[in-house]
Amino acid sequence: MANTTTNLRVIFGDGTLGVAGPACHYIFSYERGGLESLVQHGKEWLYRTPMPTFWRATTDNDRGNGFSQDSAMWLGADLFSHCVAVAINVDDQDLGWPIAPETNRFSNHEWAEKVQIAFTYQTTTVPKTNVTVTYQVFNDGHLGVTVHYDGQPGLPELPALGLRFIMPTPAVGFDYTGLSGETYPDRMAGAVAGTYHVVGLPVTPYLRPQENGMHMATEAVTVTRHTTLNNTDVDATDFSLSVVQTTAPFAFSCLPYTAEQLEAADHIEELPAVRRTVLGVYGAVRGVGGIDSWGADVEPAYHISAEVDHEFSFEIRG
Amino acid sequence: MDGDWQFQYAKNPAERPVGFFEPDYDRDHFFTIQVPGHIELENFSQIHYINTLYPWEGKVYRRPAYVLSDADTGAGMFSAADNNCVGAYAKRFDLEEPLRNNRVTVQFDGVEQAMYLWLNGHFVGYAEDSFSQSEFDLTPYIQDTDNVIAVEVFKQSTAAFLEDQDMFRFSGIFRSVRLTAQPEIHVNDLAIHSTVTADLTTGHLAVTLQLNDHPAAGTVSLTVTDDQGEMVAEASEKATEQVHFGDFEVANVRLWCHSDPYRYHLQLTVRDADGAVLEVVPYDFGFRRFELVDKVMMLNGQRLILNGVNRHEWNPDRGRAITQADMVADLQVFKENNINAVRTCHYPDQIPWYTMCDEAGIYMMAETNLETHGSWQKMGAVEPSYNVPGSVSQWRDAVLDRAKNNYEVFKNHPSILFWSLGNESYAGEVLAEMNAYYKRVDSTRLTHYEGVYRNRAYADRISDVESRMYETPENIKAYLDDHPEKPFLNCEYMHDMGNSLGGMASYVNLINQYPMYQGGFIWDYIDQALYVTDEVTGNRVLRYGGDFDDRHSDYDFSGDGLMFANRQPKPAMQEVRYYYGQYNN
Repeated sequence: MANTTTNLRVIFGDGTLGVAGPACHYIFSYERGGLESLVQHGKEWLYRTPMPTFWRATTDNDRGNGFSQDSAMWLGADLFSHCVAVAINVDDQDLGWPIAPETNRFSNHEWAEKVQIAFTYQTTTVPKTNVTVTYQVFNDGHLGVTVHYDGQPGLPELPALGLRFIMPTPAVGFDYTGLSGETYPDRMAGAVAGTYHVVGLPVTPYLRPQENGMHMATEAVTVTRHTTLNNTDVDATDFSLSVVQTTAPFAFSCLPYTAEQLEAADHIEELPAVRRTVLGVYGAVRGVGGIDSWGADVEPAYHISAEVDHEFSFEIRG
Repeated sequence: MDGDWQFQYAKNPAERPVGFFEPDYDRDHFFTIQVPGHIELENFSQIHYINTLYPWEGKVYRRPAYVLSDADTGAGMFSAADNNCVGAYAKRFDLEEPLRNNRVTVQFDGVEQAMYLWLNGHFVGYAEDSFSQSEFDLTPYIQDTDNVIAVEVFKQSTAAFLEDQDMFRFSGIFRSVRLTAQPEIHVNDLAIHSTVTADLTTGHLAVTLQLNDHPAAGTVSLTVTDDQGEMVAEASEKATEQVHFGDFEVANVRLWCHSDPYRYHLQLTVRDADGAVLEVVPYDFGFRRFELVDKVMMLNGQRLILNGVNRHEWNPDRGRAITQADMVADLQVFKENNINAVRTCHYPDQIPWYTMCDEAGIYMMAETNLETHGSWQKMGAVEPSYNVPGSVSQWRDAVLDRAKNNYEVFKNHPSILFWSLGNESYAGEVLAEMNAYYKRVDSTRLTHYEGVYRNRAYADRISDVESRMYETPENIKAYLDDHPEKPFLNCEYMHDMGNSLGGMASYVNLINQYPMYQGGFIWDYIDQALYVTDEVTGNRVLRYGGDFDDRHSDYDFSGDGLMFANRQPKPAMQEVRYYYGQYNN
């Protein structure tokens, strides 16, 4: 008999955990070490597994004061951190990392009210540290996400701390409730709180491409696309995905490029053709400074220590 | 029968157009699809690439029937699934004049993955084994004009557990379809037994034919000529259900090998009681002696060195529905780069390829259409708590049938040196039975199977060779230094993903050090990637797994070829040409 309070079907795969809920289907991959598929209303929202992100494309200020040299190992960590542990909890029962033969006792009809899966990523820094990304699928299908960074003495300051989502196709735009314009922790005062619509994925055309497009103190952002990569999908109707604050506001940027792509370009026209949406959701953002660009540091209050724990949460709704 | 067919797509069995095979069913709203071709490449069904895990990973929980429990029949696992797409194909045709008043069959060279066939509303048959030809007798229902042939193709069936090859997961009628007409006396099967005496001077030939049941009165004559047209053997027999010719002795026999792929020409002529010719069967075959001598594989008295590649059938526009031109191009690449051997990974290839390899002198490892690694290899670890076929009796016949298909279709090709039991399917009683089957029907070739490496309990019963994949040169030496029982070959090595072919010398150096080291097959010949029109630039670009919103995927893991998917060689090819050129005999 169907239990009307357990909406989530759990598929205990041999390399993934599938969770199907109302109008949504999530696939958590053990091989890819993260959320591999996020389908809402039949549309795929992920091109690659979301990963912790630590880097930002070097600003002119960073270049002047040597910040990127000092923190260069975070560029490596941004590219090469990897999953080292998976922990699954279904309806408050810890299942560890269940794979066959343990999963042979399950069926194609496993139902739950909530499913939690945590991926622990080890950084490639020296010394190493861990970041744990915990996903919780709720009974109505929405997804809770918590990112926890383990502080580690001896590590250089973080350029940023976030979770990066790479979506399969470019967004037609995004809407957010937060601050007007491009904001950073040390550049928020002039912004006006409100709800804003942004067309496309604008890249701020700094003479030399660098970190841009950050939006601090955000309550919610909704990204809208109208294309997919699914070869059977000819529906060009807009569809959207929202990231919503839980305990505290978050920061985000929604760009067509990763930090590394921006880092590699010397002119705007050197950036590649727009193919994806890169949504970074950040719990900590370093300030941009501004006293000078030949040595002055960002003010101490806007640094991000890598030696202490950081944690942030948000939720995803279709 | 290739060309336009009427087509309707259903995303699951519940939505399929039931009864579409009836001649008067209204199919006006059907689409048109090209046969041969993949349903996915016509954009009806989502393109999907995945390697080891089963394609429903993360979407459906399945265990193969009878594997965990005798009570688990698995009924409805696929037929009632909500994600098992169905293609309904139909075609109206008139029987061409020369075909009329004969026994008529239809041959499907490849349909993935399960098919039902109807003619003029009558159910004719069902087939699995996507890469083997299925032939159906249409005679009871065929008309001279206005026939309707209908095929219902299921993307998945229980065969899905046996066909988990590392490749794009396609469906549909992806190889040619043709009608045949058979005269009142017809050669159903030709078995050529050609052997060579130990001194390599004399060939022996025996030929066994299976004719149709209750053939009419008539004769079957056989001639064998050499390449100068000189008669080597000649005989004539009365037409009976089984006809045997020989034993013929061929003195000073010229042997078939890579450097001299010499073939004799056999011709059968079937005549009726009045002497009129009903059927002519030409067939070129070879004599060669392949054997283990002191645990070393010897071909015609020479130690065999395999300069091989694994070859998937691939075309970046057409997927696995490759063309004759693709095959011709591939053999030219083999020739230019000293490639002397091919493993038909991991299924039987198109039928003409085997004859082309006979002609080109390419040594073949003919692989059975079997791969079950999703059932026992999970995320790289051996985890056989449920696996097929294992020793599960209910899976036995379906698996052995695949070996029989492989053997019976290709048994007359001199190029085939190995019957391969399949790829990455672990080991159990069923594979041991398959090995026994090949040994029973064929004493002129060796059996090959790598998976027994994963389950040594069957080492004495499976595979004539020690075959491994991606083994290190150090571990190969350790094996060869430790009083090995079987000669060693790499069924897959030098994994050429992207730009990653290097250190080949360490393998090639083993050839001189160890007689029982006999080379191998590079993984693999050609990248599997698909041309699409880039949505940004409008250019034709090559895409791979995950580029179609397909999940779970293994992304660019199918890009491991010596050739790019568009048949341009990668820079590493010159290295292969160099090393393979050193032992190219």
